[in-house]
Amino acid sequence: MTGEALWSDQLRKVYESRGAPPVEALRGVSLEVHRGERVALLGRNGAGKTTFLKIASTLLRPSSGRIEIFGEDVDLRPDRVRPYIAVVPQEGKPFFHLTPREQVYTYLRARGLARETARARTESAIEQMGLESVADRLAITLSGGQRQRTMVATVIATEAPLLFLDEPSIGMDPFARRDVWDSLRELTRKGSTLLLTTHYLDEAEVLSDRLYIVEGGRVLVHGTAEELKRSVGGTLKVTLQGPGLVVEEFQGFGHCVSDGSALTVIVDPQRLAELLQIAVRRQLTAGVGPVTLEEAFLRVVGRSINAE
Amino acid sequence: MPSELPLAPSRAFRGLGAFLWTELLVQAHEWLAMATSMVVQGVLLVFVWILDPSLLPVSFLGAILFSMFTMGQRVLNEAAYLRIDHKANDLYLASPITPEGYFLGMALGILTVYVGPVLAIGLLSLWVVPYTPAIGALLVVLALSVWLFSASTGYIFSTFFRDNRAIWAYSSLFFNLFGVLFPVFYPLSLFPADLRPIALVLPPSAAAALLQSSIGAISLSEGQIALAAGALAVEVTLILFAAVLWARRTSREA
Repeated sequence: MTGEALWSDQLRKVYESRGAPPVEALRGVSLEVHRGERVALLGRNGAGKTTFLKIASTLLRPSSGRIEIFGEDVDLRPDRVRPYIAVVPQEGKPFFHLTPREQVYTYLRARGLARETARARTESAIEQMGLESVADRLAITLSGGQRQRTMVATVIATEAPLLFLDEPSIGMDPFARRDVWDSLRELTRKGSTLLLTTHYLDEAEVLSDRLYIVEGGRVLVHGTAEELKRSVGGTLKVTLQGPGLVVEEFQGFGHCVSDGSALTVIVDPQRLAELLQIAVRRQLTAGVGPVTLEEAFLRVVGRSINAE
Repeated sequence: MPSELPLAPSRAFRGLGAFLWTELLVQAHEWLAMATSMVVQGVLLVFVWILDPSLLPVSFLGAILFSMFTMGQRVLNEAAYLRIDHKANDLYLASPITPEGYFLGMALGILTVYVGPVLAIGLLSLWVVPYTPAIGALLVVLALSVWLFSASTGYIFSTFFRDNRAIWAYSSLFFNLFGVLFPVFYPLSLFPADLRPIALVLPPSAAAALLQSSIGAISLSEGQIALAAGALAVEVTLILFAAVLWARRTSREA
């Protein structure tokens, strides 16, 4: 019996459908999430993140491999796993004819929480998500972001030991996203474990203790955001543009990515001055900034996270 | 977080009561749907009143059964809508709420809201139907049986759809075929003799035939009564059992 909140080994999922070739959505995903951790699955659309989350949350059966939650086999005993998980589904919506307050409260009651506990947690979640002013309005009258916040409030109010959040801050404004992030951090301080999928690099970086980069149904790399950024080969990125740009001149400085009109070079701070001298000589415009997760993703996957 | 969680499976039917309450709150906002849920029955009763008022007792009983049948069919629409549009299955089934609690809570929530207009028809029927306590009890049992059958089939069918728009056609087909074409609003004796055995094994028309017989509107042989009652009991039991199993099975996609 493993003590991990979640553990998977060589998890595969093949979608079969009549008249179409099978689609291998997961190709042997092995990962672990320790108790109390916040872990992000980061990947492009179609990378397999949601498929993994659906299997982990007992909603989809794997084709092969093993997955356990708190030591229970998810595939064999979903009924034993379900009391300890809660899910914010991708594109989930609250009941349109319930208010956010009713939505959260009735969900908690349906999960078996006592009235007083459900009431207290409902108020707390509504406040955390900044929904006080719309708490008694029907969800049908709310904006997309407010509806999404209602979904997150519904799930965080459960304080379930393991929470799955599929693109939790999609459609939210920057302030609301920060509220969500703060609430999720608070939950892990209370002891919950979080597994989220996202294609927002900032969300993955700010929110997760560790992250797994997923592409084509495989985990390509995992580690902390800092570890992944260090793997790029430098701590600074220099973006160069101009008619005098000769890519070959910069290839010796570090990893280069060219998108046609601009060249991004990953470089160590010690060699920055030397690189900039060439840029000045060539009359190029240069932008210097720290390496971000975007460069790490590009380096690992070979494509931008927003590329279709 | 304790090092060893006291993992325990959910009780059977867990979440039923609370989901019933949820559905009740949701449906209670659909007052227009509630108000219009009796339009077909009302129109058919007016037709009967104009054409042959002597058939009104049969038609009133039929209207009650038809209402219970369509109420069950609302489960088809609601379950599919919540699953497809709201992803409510993901939220509710990946939790301690049991799939059967979710299904029956939804069905009972709809029943609780929509039973009001049916009771109104029931009250109106007091003027024309020669009720006795036994007939009243029989009506209640048969109406609930028809509802259970319809709600169960509705839930099962709802799991096959990926698009809400496709459901409307089937939903309309079910209640027009089983509730209007077959002898629910009119006596079994007016139905082609060769096809009566079919009517006696389809739940809405079987229940209607038993009620029509109980008020003396038609005469059924003992064999026909046994066929109708037996078929209804077996079908309702089997389909309810199947729906619970199906709800559990489809709580996970293959």
